[in-house]
Amino acid sequence: MPDWTREISNRVEAARHPVDPDILEELAQHAAAIYAAARADGASPAEARAAVDVQIAAWQNEADALRRRPRRPPAPVPPPAESRSWGTGLLQDVRYAARLFRRHAAFSSLVVCTMAAGIAATTVLFSVTYGVLMKPLPWAEADRLVVLAETRGGHRPRFNSFSNAAYLAWQSRAETVEAIAAWAPRVFTLSGSGDPERIRVVAGTASLFPVLRVRPLIGSVFQPKDEAAQDGRVVVLSERLWRERFGADPSVLGRLVELDGQPHLVTGVLHDEAAFPDREARAWVPLRVDPATGNFLSMFEAIARLRDGVTPAQAAAEGAARGRAAPHSPDSDMVVRAIFGGIGPIEVAAEPLRDSLTADVRRPLIVLLVAVGLLFVTATANVASLQLARATTRRREIAIRAALGAGGARVTRQLLLENLVLGLAGGCVGLVITVLLHRWLPSLLPADFPRVSHLALDVPVVAFALAASVLASIAVGLLPAMRARRLDLVQSLSEDGSAPAGVGGRSRVARARLLIMTGQVAIACVLLIGAGLLGRSFLALVSADRGFDPANVLTARVHLPRFAYGDTYRAELVDSLTRRLRDLPGVTAVTYIDGPPLGASGGTAFMIESRQVQAASYTIGPGYFAAMGTRILEGRDFSDQDISDARRVFIVNQAFAHQHLNETAAGQRVRGWVRKGPDPWEIIAIVEDVRHRGLSEPPEPAVYLYRSAESRLAPTAPTFIIRTAGDAASFAPTLRSLVKQQDPTVIVDTVMTMQARLSTSLAQPRLYAVLLGGFAGLALFIAAIGLFGVLSYTVAQRSRELAVRTALGARPADIVRLVLFQGLGVTTAGVAVGLPAAFLVTAAIGRLLYGVGHRDALTFGVAPIVVLTVAALACVAPARRASRIDPLRALKSSP
Amino acid sequence: MDALARELKRGSAELMILALLDERERHGYDLARLIGERSQGAISFHVASLYPTLYRLEDKRLIEGRWVEKAGQRRRRYYRLTPSGRQALKAHRSTWEEFFEGLHRVAGIKHA
Repeated sequence: MPDWTREISNRVEAARHPVDPDILEELAQHAAAIYAAARADGASPAEARAAVDVQIAAWQNEADALRRRPRRPPAPVPPPAESRSWGTGLLQDVRYAARLFRRHAAFSSLVVCTMAAGIAATTVLFSVTYGVLMKPLPWAEADRLVVLAETRGGHRPRFNSFSNAAYLAWQSRAETVEAIAAWAPRVFTLSGSGDPERIRVVAGTASLFPVLRVRPLIGSVFQPKDEAAQDGRVVVLSERLWRERFGADPSVLGRLVELDGQPHLVTGVLHDEAAFPDREARAWVPLRVDPATGNFLSMFEAIARLRDGVTPAQAAAEGAARGRAAPHSPDSDMVVRAIFGGIGPIEVAAEPLRDSLTADVRRPLIVLLVAVGLLFVTATANVASLQLARATTRRREIAIRAALGAGGARVTRQLLLENLVLGLAGGCVGLVITVLLHRWLPSLLPADFPRVSHLALDVPVVAFALAASVLASIAVGLLPAMRARRLDLVQSLSEDGSAPAGVGGRSRVARARLLIMTGQVAIACVLLIGAGLLGRSFLALVSADRGFDPANVLTARVHLPRFAYGDTYRAELVDSLTRRLRDLPGVTAVTYIDGPPLGASGGTAFMIESRQVQAASYTIGPGYFAAMGTRILEGRDFSDQDISDARRVFIVNQAFAHQHLNETAAGQRVRGWVRKGPDPWEIIAIVEDVRHRGLSEPPEPAVYLYRSAESRLAPTAPTFIIRTAGDAASFAPTLRSLVKQQDPTVIVDTVMTMQARLSTSLAQPRLYAVLLGGFAGLALFIAAIGLFGVLSYTVAQRSRELAVRTALGARPADIVRLVLFQGLGVTTAGVAVGLPAAFLVTAAIGRLLYGVGHRDALTFGVAPIVVLTVAALACVAPARRASRIDPLRALKSSP
Repeated sequence: MDALARELKRGSAELMILALLDERERHGYDLARLIGERSQGAISFHVASLYPTLYRLEDKRLIEGRWVEKAGQRRRRYYRLTPSGRQALKAHRSTWEEFFEGLHRVAGIKHA
C-alpha cells in the first residue's frame, strides 16, 4: 500500500501551511484507510487512488485549519477594581500577576531568563568587587592601617619598600601613628615532625601584632626582646599549619621546630582569619631592624596604625620629616641608588592597607563591573521593549478594567507588580546561578588575585541582587504603566484588541522601542570597542618580543640554602646536576639563573666613569643565552677561560647600554659593586632585552654575571633551565628523581614549563579580555535579538501598509529595502551615539592596555562594522517576512 | 443566510462527533465512515472539515485524542469524550431538540 505522508505533506504545505508531523500521520492513515476500503469494495488501484486524491484536495483547501493550538490555561480573571483594603488589593494583584505569569509561560520564562542571566552576571562581579575592594579587612579598625613606602628622588623599589634608616628615625618618636611595624616575606624549610616543607613565613617586628590588633588563638605572640635574640628564637604558627602539621595539639606551645635548620620555640598560634599579610602566611618570626651604617641599608615592608583623626598624608609628612632628620652618610648614596634606582632626600608615602592590597585589580574590577552593569541595562531594556509591545496588545484588557472603575493608580500598581513578580523570580533564579558560579570562582580567578578568600555570598551581595531585580522590574514596568495612565478608553475599546494598524514606525510605542534600540546598539558598540582594545592588548602581550624562546623549556628552582649546603658542596651539586640533566636523551641544553624571566630579581649599582648607575643583576650558568634563545647583539658569550683566569667580565642588556653607555659598549670598563672590590670590570657583550619583570613592563637595565667568575660561589636558589627537543613538561618527573638521587634532602619547587610561566603572568589580562569580550558578545547578541523583535513588530504592525504597497506594485526587493533601511537606520543612530561615548570612556582602560592606544583607530573602525553586520543579519528574517506578505490575506485580516 | 448555514453546519458537525464518541472512542476515519453510513449519505458531512473540527473540540477540551498502538497495526489516534464534552453533548442535544420542535411547530418539519 502506498505511503501518503509525503504526498499530503507536499500538497498541503505547497499552500504555505506547514503541518504538524503528528497531524500528517493522522491524515496519512485516513488516506490509507480510504484506499484500503475502496480496494476492498472492488475498485482498481487507479480508482482507489483517485478517491484518496479527492480527499487530499479537500484537506488542501482547509490547510490553514489543520493545526492544533498549543494548550493554554484560560485567561485569568482580573482583580476587582475595588477591594476591601489596600492589603487585599495588593494580594489580589500579586495573585493575578502569578496567574498571568503561568498563562504567558513562554513570554514569562524569556523575561525571567533574561533577568536571571543579567542579575547573576552582575551579582557575581559585584561580589568579587565587594569582597576584594570594599569588604573591611579582617583586622580591628583596619581603615586606620596604612602601608608605608619610601621613595628617593621619585624612585621606589618594587619590593621591600622601606629602609631601616627611615624606620628607626620615625619609630621611636612617632606622633601621627600609634605604632609602626616592619615585616618581610621569607620562605623557610620547615623540618622536624614530618617531611621537610617549604613554607611562607613572615619576619616581623614585635610591633606587628599590636599594629594589627591581633591576639593569638593560643599562647602568646612575640615581644620586643625576642627580636634581638640570637639563641632561643621564637615562632608563631598559623592556625592552618598548626592543624595540618601538629593536629591542632595545644601542647605544641613550648615545642621546638626547625626553620632552615635553626630551632625555633613555638610561643603561639594565630587565627587564620587574622593572618597577615594573607592566609598564605604559615608562620611569623621576629625581625630585627638594625641601624643603618655607611654601606648597610636594610629594606623591608612597613605598615602603621594611624592615630584617630590622622590622615595618611599627615603620617607620610611626618615620616618624611623624621627620615630626613636621620644622620646621613655620604657612603650610602651608592647603596641607595642600587636599591631605589635613584638618589634624593627621603620621601614617604602612606596608602590605606586595603587600597595597597588591591591596587592592581581595582581599575579592571571597576571597569568590568561597569561593563556588566551596562550589559544588565541592555538586557533589561530588551525586556522593557518586549513589555512595551505587549502593553499595546493589552490595551483592551486595561481599557476594560479602567472602564469597570479601576483608577489609573490601581492599573499602574498592577502593571508594576506584574513586573516585580517577574523581576523577583528572575532575581531568585539569578541568585541560584550566582551560588553555583561562586563555587567555581576561586578556580576561575588568577592565582595572584588578591583577597580571593574573602569572597562570599554575604548580606550585601544578596541585598545587591534583590535591589537590582527590584530596580530593573520597576524600570521595565514604568513605560507600559505610564502608557496605561494615558490610555484613551473609547479608542482602545473600539479596536479589535490587536495592535493599532497603519501607524507603522510612527506609533508612540514603536518610537519608544526604536529609542531603546538605539541605546542598546550604543552600549553594544561601547562594550565591543572596550573588548576589542583589551583583546588587541592581550594579543600584543602574547606576541611581544620577550627576548627569549619559551617553547620546550622546563624550569625548576632548586633550594640550596647556605645553612644546609656548604659553598663547595653547593657548587659541586649545581655542576653535577647540570651535567646529569644534559646527558638525558631529548635534552638539548641545560643551564641556570638565579632569577628566571617572570620571577623575582635583585639589583646592583656601579660607577661608570664618575656616574653611579643602577641595574638588575643576574647570575647565570654556562650557555645561558644559547639555551634561552636570547641573542647576543655585540661581543662574545662567557667562556671557560673567564672562569679559569678569574676575569672580571660581565654582560649587559640593550636597555643598560642605551641608558648608561656610549655606542661602543663592549670592552668598556666600569668600576663598582659588581662583587665588591675596587678593581674595574669589563663589559664583554650586549644581549637583547628580556622581559624579566612581566610582559607588560618595559625592560630595565640588567647585567649578567658568570657565576664562577670570581669565586666558586653558586647561587643558593638557582632555577634550572632545561631545553628539550620535545614536550618539556614530560621531563618534570625525571628531573625530580634525578635531584632526589643526587641528594634526597634538596627541595625542588616551581617545576613548570616556561610556557606555563608565561601563561600565569598573562592570567589577569586574559581574564579581563575574555570577560569583557563575553560581555560585549552578549550585549551584541541582545541588541540583535532586540532589533529582530522591534523589526518583526513593526513589520506586523505595518502589514496593511506593506500589503497596500505590494498591491500597488512594490517589488519584494523594495519592501526588503524598506525594512533594512529602518533596521540599519536605528543601528547607525546607535553607533553614532556609541562611538563618541566609547571615545570618552576608553580613557578609563588606557592604563590596562599594552601596545595599543585607548583610541586605537583599527578597533574604533572595526567595531561599528561588526555592529552593522550583526544588525543587518538581524534584519534579514523580518525583511523576508515583510516581502512575503500576501496582500489579499493581510488586507482581509486587518480590521 | 450564509452565516446561518455555516453555524448550522459547524454545530451539527460537533453534535455528530460528540454523539459518536459518546458510544466509544474512535479514530478519524471511523468517524467519517460512520457519519456517512448512519445518515445513509443524506448528510454529506464534508469530510475535510472533520479534522479541523476535531482539533477545535480538542482545544475546547471537549474531547481528547491519544495515540494507541495495537499489535500488528500502525499506531492510530483515538478520540474520546471528556466530562465537559459529555456536558456539552447534553446541551447540544437539548438545543437541537428545541430547534427541531420549533421547526416542527412552525414549518411542520418532523424529526426522528
